[in-house]
Amino acid sequence: MSLPDRTYRVGVLLRHNLVLVARDPGHLIAYLVMPMVLMAVQAPLYQRALRGVAGTTQVVSGMLVMFSLLALSIVGNAVLAERTWRTWDRLRATPAGAGELMLGKAAAVFAVLLLQQLVLLGFGAGVLRLRLGPQPALLAVPVLCWGAALLAGGAALAVVVRGHGQLSAACDVGGLLLAGLGGALAPLSAMPGWARAVAPVSPGYWAMGGLHAALAGDVAGTVRAAAVLLALALAAGTVVAVRMRRGWTRTALL
Amino acid sequence: MLHATGLTKRYGSTTALAGLDLTVGPGEIVGLIGHNGAGKTTFVEITAGLTRPDAGTVEIAGIDAVRHPAAARRHLGLAPQHLALYPSASVRQNLSVFGGLAGLRRRALRAAIDEVTTATELTAVLDRPVGLLSGGQQRRTQTATALLHRPAVLLLDEPTVGADPQTRQAMLAVVRQRADAGVAVCYTTHYLPELDELGATLAVLRAGRVIARGTRDELLTGLPGELLLGYADGTERRISSTDPRAALAAAVTDPARTAGLSTVDIRRPSLDDLYHALSREAHHVAA
Repeated sequence: MSLPDRTYRVGVLLRHNLVLVARDPGHLIAYLVMPMVLMAVQAPLYQRALRGVAGTTQVVSGMLVMFSLLALSIVGNAVLAERTWRTWDRLRATPAGAGELMLGKAAAVFAVLLLQQLVLLGFGAGVLRLRLGPQPALLAVPVLCWGAALLAGGAALAVVVRGHGQLSAACDVGGLLLAGLGGALAPLSAMPGWARAVAPVSPGYWAMGGLHAALAGDVAGTVRAAAVLLALALAAGTVVAVRMRRGWTRTALL
Repeated sequence: MLHATGLTKRYGSTTALAGLDLTVGPGEIVGLIGHNGAGKTTFVEITAGLTRPDAGTVEIAGIDAVRHPAAARRHLGLAPQHLALYPSASVRQNLSVFGGLAGLRRRALRAAIDEVTTATELTAVLDRPVGLLSGGQQRRTQTATALLHRPAVLLLDEPTVGADPQTRQAMLAVVRQRADAGVAVCYTTHYLPELDELGATLAVLRAGRVIARGTRDELLTGLPGELLLGYADGTERRISSTDPRAALAAAVTDPARTAGLSTVDIRRPSLDDLYHALSREAHHVAA
């Protein structure tokens, strides 16, 4: 089948998935409003504790990372719904290939994850006077790579859980744990020694590192963090691709 | 149009298909019947490219559906057994996404949606979310997704489960129209009178193979019908016979049977009888 046909089908799926997101925007709204409220309330505290600019950077990047981790539930629910509605196998029975189906699904959810990060960074810059550093464009690197890691991670959760309850618990507990360990709730320097030692196992640690490096104009630090996030995205994405290609026709799950 | 040869599929120690052969020609409606677990849904899943067979081939409109599933699926319309629709999206949106994926664009897509929603009596609910529709309307929406792109082969897996009589009649009429237009229809159901209404030829599945194939009359030949004798005192006598007319002739010459006889009824064997005969046979085999 021709490239225009494939592109058209991906476009059909992208538009369709954006419609689905738009019809159920509750999670997205919550994960936009809550971090903005927390940023506004906690900014003075962080600015005093970490002296000005560093405090603003910490509170904006911390809330961004924590609430984007909680937004794993948006990704997870988008994928899990296709299982519970049995629509994923129905889509597999159309002329669209597995890659087209996954791309169409992923692109819409990825756009939502990017929108969340951009709105929170915009709020930080516009309201809390977050300084975007000497190369603001550098921020695109951690934002895109963090979005990819979240997308793949959330989808990986959705293909292994047995239902919406498990997914919700995994996203809430996992999100808070990874955000806390990654230094999103409190600066790494203020965390206990054992927590600092294990912090690098959390993707949140690399997201925080990437954002801080980009805001400081540190290209090498930004690229290093981005590489780790992309590797995580690749690993989780492979699990997702293998599982979703098989579908759920005869599975005992759900 | 649809040609399956030697299809075999095992799930662990369970054999779902054991060398299934089935051909459905253009304009033909084949009713695929069999007990639960006979292999109907596995056949549907393999034909739709959702599951790979362990052996055998399926051709849809001359295309090998195992080797080239995406190309074959362009000629296939599927209505799966379980509802598979987006409940938060409208009927129009559901049809748009499945029509779009089948290759319909803009004006052709709008025309196809108009056509199938008229045929399935869904025009009044076109912009309502599917989750708010009645069960029958949801069933019709599902069937409409299979019809949109005018496929050469229709694969309808128990499409009328849970449907009310009006919905059932509407869907049967659409299926009949498509078959008249040359579409090959494979129709699985447990509701056998539907196959009579469709004028379908039958393929009986058991243990993953087609064990009987033919028209209704061919398959029912040899099955016993019933002679029902009603008496004035309210009693009734049933005589099972492969030739109820001969049984009636014998009965009316027997004074012991004609005394007080008030009504006579002959019941020809039905598809339900065929199904029950197969059930008894299956139980004997299991025993």
